[in-house]
Amino acid sequence: MQPEDRAVLTRVIQRYDANLPNVEIEVIYKETEELRSNFQSAALAGLGPDLIYGPSDQVGPFATMQFVRPLDDVFAADDLTRFDARAIVKFKGRTYQLADRIGNHLALVYNKKLMPVPPQNTDELIAMGRAATKDLNGDGVTDQWGLVWNFTEPFFFIPWLSGFGGWVIDDNARPTLNNEAAANAFRFVRSLREEHKMVPPDCDYNTADALFKEGRAAMLINGPWSWSGYGAAGIDYELARIPQVTSTGLWPAPMVSPLGYSINVHSDGKELAAATELLRFLLSDDVQREFVAATGIIPSSLAVRADSNYVTRPHVAQSLSQFEVGKAMPIVPELRAVWDAMRASYQSVLGGYLSPEDAAAKMQRDAEQKIQEMNE
Amino acid sequence: MNSERNFALWMVMPAAIVVGLVVVWPFIYNVFLSFSNMSLLHIHDWNFIGPRQYEKVFSDTAFYTVFGKTLVWTVLNVFFHVTIGVALAVILHENIPGRRMFRTLLILPWAIPAVVTALTWRGMFHYEYGAVNLILSKVFHQTPIQWLNDPIGTFAACVITNVWLGFPFMMVVALGGLQSIPKELYEAAMIDGASAWQRFKTITLPMLVPVLTPAVILGFVWTFNKVDIVWLVSNGGEPADQTHILVSYVYRAAFNLYRYGYAAAGSMIIFLLLVLFSVTLMRKTREKAA
Repeated sequence: MQPEDRAVLTRVIQRYDANLPNVEIEVIYKETEELRSNFQSAALAGLGPDLIYGPSDQVGPFATMQFVRPLDDVFAADDLTRFDARAIVKFKGRTYQLADRIGNHLALVYNKKLMPVPPQNTDELIAMGRAATKDLNGDGVTDQWGLVWNFTEPFFFIPWLSGFGGWVIDDNARPTLNNEAAANAFRFVRSLREEHKMVPPDCDYNTADALFKEGRAAMLINGPWSWSGYGAAGIDYELARIPQVTSTGLWPAPMVSPLGYSINVHSDGKELAAATELLRFLLSDDVQREFVAATGIIPSSLAVRADSNYVTRPHVAQSLSQFEVGKAMPIVPELRAVWDAMRASYQSVLGGYLSPEDAAAKMQRDAEQKIQEMNE
Repeated sequence: MNSERNFALWMVMPAAIVVGLVVVWPFIYNVFLSFSNMSLLHIHDWNFIGPRQYEKVFSDTAFYTVFGKTLVWTVLNVFFHVTIGVALAVILHENIPGRRMFRTLLILPWAIPAVVTALTWRGMFHYEYGAVNLILSKVFHQTPIQWLNDPIGTFAACVITNVWLGFPFMMVVALGGLQSIPKELYEAAMIDGASAWQRFKTITLPMLVPVLTPAVILGFVWTFNKVDIVWLVSNGGEPADQTHILVSYVYRAAFNLYRYGYAAAGSMIIFLLLVLFSVTLMRKTREKAA
């Protein structure tokens, strides 16, 4: 959750709590990875918060380890009809998470001052990216980059993997990483840096974010959690689909994952009742409208999405356009092993230690081995 | 006599209970887990499987690679902590101008939380915008180094960060030790015409050894287990999972891959290695002193 979201959450919870003298609500913020490891430890000891908020991919492991409670017991099916079906996160047929927003997808963000029109395909991306990469003061150091993004994280590689025709895992939770699509995607990403020199040599999340906020990058790939920050930094930005891959004719499909709430399996009695009521409140249309007003989310409530106030908001149409070509993040614990395997191979390709073909083969091998170890 | 003993026992009991709950019980639980199959699929219904997790750890080639890196990491760090710490202590022990200010400044790295230090240094090692490369290229006209994209560069970045963080402790210990060395020894040596280096080698160093030995053992154990610096500077083992020490390797097995039994066995091996090292070093020091 970004600072803007946290501010809204704090505000609405304070308002809600003020009307409940016998209930005390404490909100604790953790980064996604920290939440995952801390909640595991707490839940193992029979502790932890009653409500847990996070991306849908944590549902697979938490449900497998029985750390979260099926919500079918506390929410009737009729209660859920007002949500987009993608916001009701199921694992093995049971609902474990209810999302207040769907999407959470990467999109192309461009600085309109540096690039008035976004590229439509990868050929244009390269041409326009190269043209926007500039040494402005002639000291031999690049001052402005064509494209920046978190170059090292496999989550940010997914649009390119899918754009070249690949994906991470099949319906039986088997990794699908050793193929021509993965090798081509690796080759393409590396060429942007090595051959076209339009992305910085060392570009992690913070570098990409800072360069775009400083107006030193024409294009950026990032998700909805970040977009409002660019406006606040004074950048005149717009969203667009990540450009179509010219050689395959496919639109890059970022992973689409809801963000939502699960209930701790150890929450019981009065705590469970209070947590359920709080969850209903947090998923209410009024609260979702407040989040929409402050951030660029796609709300899970169908009514809020149909509001004319929502549809006409800046950037919404472009975000929905990218969302349409996104692909749902698999809700299986095996995805954790896939991320781990991908990260190592992806970074090896970028570092020049592995060829794209060898990296594709290695990440498949590693993913299979890690899944086997996880499932021992 | 009995009432005195009872009183002492009552006084010790609260501390013993706390130690039992936060140290002894988790340790015993970890021993149990290391002989179990606790994992993603057996989180609640785990069973004892004998020493199979230990066999897995010892048959894993990655374990030996990481163990080798951990030894290099520990030895390099402790070496620089001690040499820099003792060198600075010797300088600060002299009557130099601004001695108090330098003491305060040099202790600062120790006072800063390790998380802040790690993230600040990670930023400073950035290829293009980091202070380290900017100094290298602008001041010394050297080619910038790919610190965080290269396994050796990242490892070096972790070592530099931890050396910066760790030398003040050794400096403070050595300063304490220096103050306990009688000045007469130096005066006698100077009358005999001993040079500064000879005085350091024959008086300062031998007299510091008893003070530094426990600090070196502590430093070795702390550095061997220094997961925060390695994890944060390398961003979880980057690039390509090449920057791990045993503790971060075990942490990843437990919290990324849910292999609790395997991770517990790994952590027991780390514990035994450190016990073995500490006991051996203490025995050697005692033998030497005797």
